[in-house]
Amino acid sequence: MGLRENKPSRIALTFFKWFCRPDFREEIEGDLLERFRMYSLKYGYHKANRLFIKEVLFLFRPSIVGNAYHLTNTSTMEITNQNKRLVTILAIAIAILLIPLIAMTFTNEVNWKIFDFLVAGILLVGTGLTLEFILKRIKTLRYRILFGVLLFVILLLIWAELAVGIFGTPLAGS
Amino acid sequence: MSQKTLGEFEEVVLLVVAILNGEAYSVSIITEIEDRLDRNVSLGAIQTVLKRLENKGLLKSEFGDATNERGGKRKRLYEVTAEGQKIIDQTRVQRNSLWEAIPRVSFNLS
Repeated sequence: MGLRENKPSRIALTFFKWFCRPDFREEIEGDLLERFRMYSLKYGYHKANRLFIKEVLFLFRPSIVGNAYHLTNTSTMEITNQNKRLVTILAIAIAILLIPLIAMTFTNEVNWKIFDFLVAGILLVGTGLTLEFILKRIKTLRYRILFGVLLFVILLLIWAELAVGIFGTPLAGS
Repeated sequence: MSQKTLGEFEEVVLLVVAILNGEAYSVSIITEIEDRLDRNVSLGAIQTVLKRLENKGLLKSEFGDATNERGGKRKRLYEVTAEGQKIIDQTRVQRNSLWEAIPRVSFNLS
């Protein structure tokens, strides 16, 4: 136990270092460690660790996270400048897919089968890749906006068609 | 910031920074608030308010020294600016004038 006594949860600390704005990282990490040290003397290791994790979770707020840019820019991921946009686009697609997955555990209103996730996943990733392609090929702002909006309108129409059927194609869902 | 009034928690933090006089950093501020006001404050809440007050120009900060119990990380020490001083004085004057305006009978109702 000797060494473990004075080390808080590594997962929580790594999570904190990931989400915290780089310019706040040093001071707040120091605060966290100092508070942890205080708690361990007062309540013992286990409670101190729980309080440490709680504190990290309470720090997860917009003012501490800052802009989302640094989140996809960690040194462990080694992304080249060019691919950052693609990674962000794909991350957003996955995040959108997580919404029904999380909603399903709370309500019966949302009830997706594996097949639904597959179709939605292909649709979202496909849109993402097309968007990346558009942004790579077209450099004028006006056309970027035009094609971007067009792409999202098409995505929404296909999505609505699959979900409730607005055109009455054989693909239409319930 | 166009708005020249302080939120309740902002006011408390600003006053505590003034009390600590040069020794004010997030952890010492939390301890002081817990001791004096018997009120639990999370690190996230205090950091958010400190950054906001600094953006409003009511506090200024610089890096302090790194100690061993902080894992070799420096702390950020806060100080009240002239602007901050002005605003707490103003708040106090306003509060006092409100207290003085209460007619004596309103506390003897029950």
